Amino acid sequence: MAVKEKITQMLFRVLDELNQFRPREEHLKKDLETPLAGASGRLDSAGLINLIVLTEQKAAQELGRPILLTDDRTLSRINEVFLTLGSLADYIHLLLNEKRDG
Amino acid sequence: MEIKTFTVADLQLALRSEDFWLSRTLPITRQRALSFCRNPRAEKDDPVLLVAYQDNRVIGYLGILPDKIYFNNADHKLGWLTGWWVDPSVAAKGVGVTLLYKALNTYRERIGVSGGSKEARKVLHASQKFIALNPPKGIDIRFRLNASKALLRKYPGMRAFRVFFKIADALLDEIVDVRSFFWERRHGFRRRLAFEYLSSIDEEAGRFIERHHQHDLTRKGKADLSWIMTSPWVVSAPQKDPASRRYFFSSISARFFYLGVKVFAPDNGMVGFLMLKVRDDRMSVVYAHFEDRHAPSVAAAALYHALTMDVSTLSLYDERLVKSAAGLRCPCWATRSVSRGFFLSKAFADAPLADCRLHGGDGDFAFY
Repeated sequence: MAVKEKITQMLFRVLDELNQFRPREEHLKKDLETPLAGASGRLDSAGLINLIVLTEQKAAQELGRPILLTDDRTLSRINEVFLTLGSLADYIHLLLNEKRDG
Repeated sequence: MEIKTFTVADLQLALRSEDFWLSRTLPITRQRALSFCRNPRAEKDDPVLLVAYQDNRVIGYLGILPDKIYFNNADHKLGWLTGWWVDPSVAAKGVGVTLLYKALNTYRERIGVSGGSKEARKVLHASQKFIALNPPKGIDIRFRLNASKALLRKYPGMRAFRVFFKIADALLDEIVDVRSFFWERRHGFRRRLAFEYLSSIDEEAGRFIERHHQHDLTRKGKADLSWIMTSPWVVSAPQKDPASRRYFFSSISARFFYLGVKVFAPDNGMVGFLMLKVRDDRMSVVYAHFEDRHAPSVAAAALYHALTMDVSTLSLYDERLVKSAAGLRCPCWATRSVSRGFFLSKAFADAPLADCRLHGGDGDFAFY
């Protein structure tokens, strides 16, 4: 499976876990276009933190490499990174590529 | 969104600048900024304020109070989060989250939180980065019923009868006053105890505190307590001023002051020290130092001052004082159990903190 696809599937599993704690009408759709924390995002602060924590945990388990989504670099572009599920997937892909190249 | 970090030195500059105070939303008041700059536990380059800007507009801020905690015979620096605010119109844009993680990164994950709103606690819990400390269990002792206030809040339609409610309140207060008179005479506090009052900590009180604070988490000493007493965040004033309307947290109160009380008993010399905070009609014992055997005398001193200073509620957070106060059977309308939540980041998870004593004024509690 391509890395990008692996990241997408991992993020879908993150959403599965997040949705367990959200009312049915607030479930996040497993779609790369799903808005997260941007202007039309549906995550409040606690929801966004849950997403960050779960994503970091799942990435370490499923992608085999730890990623950090709370460093100053990510925080400085938080709205961009967490705009949609797709933008988050792209950012994780970028981080993994950087690690491999570095 | 841009996050700007202000160190103590930056705040000193901001205090001298005019532009900083022109923004529609203030991230800090001058009073609080002055206090931050005078913190004896802060270094010049310690970050103390994070401000989130969007298009030059303040959309969120988070204060950090540098402090030290003590364990394993050493002091360990940390920052207490204080005054965490996000503009509700941008609440879904990760501003609060960015401020929290920025604070954690800036202080190398050595952060403490005292109290906090329900929303803030939810966020801290979600981050999985904090552990809760054993909260000090205290009580609120209510001397004044203030029934008119509560009734009119619940039944606003009864405002026409408020004069009668106030008369009823005054009569009920008299009952406590009369009982207090006999309670004081029965115990003879004025014969048995003597007091000396302080607006900042003197040498004698400083030495006394140092002898008694060895098991405290933050071991506040003479300089620290004097700083709190002389650099309050809330100012006594009859009404809000324009700056306080542009700042989300408390900055003005009708009555706000600290009082240091040295408690003396004949033949024993100084037996206790109390740092009282009075805000409007509430009094809190924010720091208390004494030996266990003198707990009844020190509890009596706290109760005596609450009654003499005509406050409606006294809050105690020292379990020894709580126990002794119960034994003194002071006249009051009700007592209520209260506790104060303290959280430390997981960087301190392995620290032996179970036996450390927390005071009601630790974290940023002493300032509100």
